[in-house]
Amino acid sequence: MASKILTTTLRRSLTLKTIPHIRPLSTATAAVTEPSDEISMKGVKISGRPLYLDMQATSPVDPRVLDAMIPYFVSRYGNPHSRTHLYGWESDEAVEVARTQVANLINASAKEIVFTSGATECNNISVKGVMHFYKEKKKHVITTQTEHKCVLDSCRHLQQEGFDVTYLPVKNDGLIDLNELKGAIRSVTGLVSVMAVNNEIGVIQPMEEIGEICKEFNVPFHTDAAQALGKIPIDVNKWNVSLMSLSGHKVYGPKGVGALYMRRRPRIRVEPQMNGGGQERGIRSGTVPTPLVVGMGAACELAMKEMEYDEKRVTKLKDRLLNGIRAKLDGVVVNGSVERRYAGNLNLSFAYVEGESLLMGLKEVAVSSGSACTSASLEPSYVLRALGVDEDMAHTSIRFGIGRFTTEEEIDKAVELTVNQVEKLLTNRFGILKKW
Amino acid sequence: MASPSRTEIISLFRSLLRSARQFPDYNIREYTKRRTIDSFRHNKTLSDPSSIAAAFSDGKSQLQVARRQAVVYSLYAPEIKSIMDVKH
Repeated sequence: MASKILTTTLRRSLTLKTIPHIRPLSTATAAVTEPSDEISMKGVKISGRPLYLDMQATSPVDPRVLDAMIPYFVSRYGNPHSRTHLYGWESDEAVEVARTQVANLINASAKEIVFTSGATECNNISVKGVMHFYKEKKKHVITTQTEHKCVLDSCRHLQQEGFDVTYLPVKNDGLIDLNELKGAIRSVTGLVSVMAVNNEIGVIQPMEEIGEICKEFNVPFHTDAAQALGKIPIDVNKWNVSLMSLSGHKVYGPKGVGALYMRRRPRIRVEPQMNGGGQERGIRSGTVPTPLVVGMGAACELAMKEMEYDEKRVTKLKDRLLNGIRAKLDGVVVNGSVERRYAGNLNLSFAYVEGESLLMGLKEVAVSSGSACTSASLEPSYVLRALGVDEDMAHTSIRFGIGRFTTEEEIDKAVELTVNQVEKLLTNRFGILKKW
Repeated sequence: MASPSRTEIISLFRSLLRSARQFPDYNIREYTKRRTIDSFRHNKTLSDPSSIAAAFSDGKSQLQVARRQAVVYSLYAPEIKSIMDVKH
């Protein structure tokens, strides 16, 4: 027995050693092999890089943003917190310019912007930080069932610490009921957190009205505006928000950077989630990543210039996509409110089709069934369930994310591929293709 | 600032389109083309010399960005093209 094990391990190690000779894995030799037009990854073969329609997961970096970032990767590598030399000064100046660019896009003051690692961190600082700071007097948080996972998880964390959390239900169109919000506010409510644009279904909550209610009851209002930044006009004063979470990589900026807006008048205070050198006024210690922050600033400035142009285009492309699919298929349902939504996020459900096979068959279109964070599980999205979408329909949802770089041809291709796949699945299921 | 001549403007337009074509990335290439054409069309009605000059100098700096980035994008172009480039 022992010798058998020995020979097996020996054989295994031998074969492993021989592999490099048969199949060279180094990049140097890979470049020599003639380029093929096929990719094989995770067992799927596709003839080219898929067309990208998943802008809610992340957006490509705009070349103009990259152009602004590169100098800070190459020669301007100073630590923005260094006070004793030019390297530090120039980085610090760049960070402050970026802070102003971000602030301008949301009509805030640069002093109210704190750079973080992304919207998740902002949400954690906002929800946990505010409640921890005011824990002596405030014991209650209001949020919605359709929030992003990081807000919901922060709330769960607070619940374990003994805080009380109200998860407001949403109506069938994905919007919250303002009267229900009013009714949920108590004297010990320390925070209301409602996201501006939903990441899965794209509905826009009535921010001004919610802000109005929060002002009336004197409760701080936090919003996760990661999906709203650069897409819909944001004004922190009109919305009356105390805290707002922003992300760099949803506005054609780099990943790994975000910004938290924190109101100064009336002042909102938080307990830091990270302790250290006291950077960013002690709210977020750790060296500010100059290239990323510069990228986020450039992305925000661009977004301000391009918002109107992008908006027109995205709306046109959304109509083209929806009309294209509806012209060929019946039983297509738009999830969430039709009127109050961001055009670049089209979440559709297809009747009588099995969702998993639909997504698997659409390998040449990079789309997702919902949030990237939860798309690994086969469970239907909790957002769609909160809307009261049928189990069947929730399983077949596809989110088409349209952005600045999407073309008409891509939309036409996506329509063609989606229609073909749905018709194929319907034929498989019902024998003959039934025209409804 | 002196107002640019018609030939200068047309030359800028052509240069922008030329650098747009150099992007190996399908989406960036198409966007640069489209954005160039749309901007020039949008600015066609400008009559005030100072705003024409401002638009012209903005276009020139955009051209610098496009030239630099076309190089960067070519240096790191993926081996496999977008399916939008493969099938046409």
